[in-house]
Amino acid sequence: MNDDVNEEMLDLLCKKAVYGLNEEETMQLGRLEVVGDDLRTLELTAAVIGMINLKTDEALPLHLQEKITVAADGYFASQTKSGRISEAAVKEPTSEISFVPAKTRGFSWNWLGWAFAAAACVALAINIWLTRTQPDSTIADNRSPTPKQEEILTPSQQRQRLLESPIQVLTAQLGKGNVKEIDNVSGDVVWSDVRQAGYVRVQGLPKNDANKETYQLWIFDESQDPKTPIDGGTFNIEGDGEVVIPIDAHLKAVNPTAFAVTIEKPGGVVVSKQAKVAALAKSET
Amino acid sequence: MLHNSADAEDAVQEIFLDIWKNAERYDSSQSSETTYVAMIARRRLIDRIRFSQRRISTDSLEDVLAEPIDHSDKNMQTSLEAADAVKALNTLRPEQRQVLQLSIVHGLSHQEISDTTGMPLGTVKTHARRGILQAREFLGLGSSQTTEEVHA
Repeated sequence: MNDDVNEEMLDLLCKKAVYGLNEEETMQLGRLEVVGDDLRTLELTAAVIGMINLKTDEALPLHLQEKITVAADGYFASQTKSGRISEAAVKEPTSEISFVPAKTRGFSWNWLGWAFAAAACVALAINIWLTRTQPDSTIADNRSPTPKQEEILTPSQQRQRLLESPIQVLTAQLGKGNVKEIDNVSGDVVWSDVRQAGYVRVQGLPKNDANKETYQLWIFDESQDPKTPIDGGTFNIEGDGEVVIPIDAHLKAVNPTAFAVTIEKPGGVVVSKQAKVAALAKSET
Repeated sequence: MLHNSADAEDAVQEIFLDIWKNAERYDSSQSSETTYVAMIARRRLIDRIRFSQRRISTDSLEDVLAEPIDHSDKNMQTSLEAADAVKALNTLRPEQRQVLQLSIVHGLSHQEISDTTGMPLGTVKTHARRGILQAREFLGLGSSQTTEEVHA
């Protein structure tokens, strides 16, 4: 294979792993003779990077678990009959990730146990699916720190629980930013690196018209360039008084040095120009 | 018209089926089970997204925009793989890191990244390619065949 063809192939393989190919590119790749293990290793690399934002504490809905169980029983029954299942493939799971009660229902459950290592990919599945199939403006909405319906604790109570926990919690006093009109903002930020969770308690931010603009949280930490801090989710202010906003960090934050609340277009932005900083907090501990 | 919840559930079921079908190809010396599963998930989802995008073009924009949005709050759980990924990304140039984060973590296309960051499309593609190759090298997944390219 000459260098040009090799370069073309590598281009396509990288794109396939990172984002996927369109029909034309798929045909183009099909015409090339792919050798070695490049595609698989590139896909594995993309999968590892994709896990940065992975939420692994979500359980499958019960009805979906039942569907998968039925599908598994059917699939493995047919495979067993045809003798296609090898000993190596039915090994016991070694992954630490599990959420299914450890009951045994025979042969197929061994397979199901292995497959339920996929618990970690379920959230990934939904996340990628939603972020790639909805208009841009809705992407940030999915990240908004709206509590789960089944959550009993309010954000304020969750914040208090975090403060009372034995783990180390970083705190920062919130003050005004560069928007002259917003000069009476106050509050604080608490953040836990261990839990990758935190809360902004703020008062003095004016109500915003959600059709015109939104507030967006940002985390400045050791791992990121200050020009591209970590997105912490969007929120709106609908009334007067103090509010507590859960921080929804989209990347792992390491030892944050500051937090900012900016004013952005509805839905938020991926990279902020930081033109309108409504509030700013610098870490104290 | 898209039915996101139903489509997501269908996708999850397909992923499980893919996992079972591909279980025998799993190589524990190459990756963890979680990474392998995530790779299969990404592969399947990318296929579905490509297919759905073809379908979207035949739907009216109003129908697509009228789809309900799933607002879900999720708690971050750090995994070993995520920690490795962060380390790998930290070895990259900031522009490469940014492009990979936007494309892989946030699901933006190269064109969307170009529009968002102002980088020329060709530059985005170059950063994506060099970034993923270098990350692969860092993670110990690199093949000897393309190792030289990483340092080019």
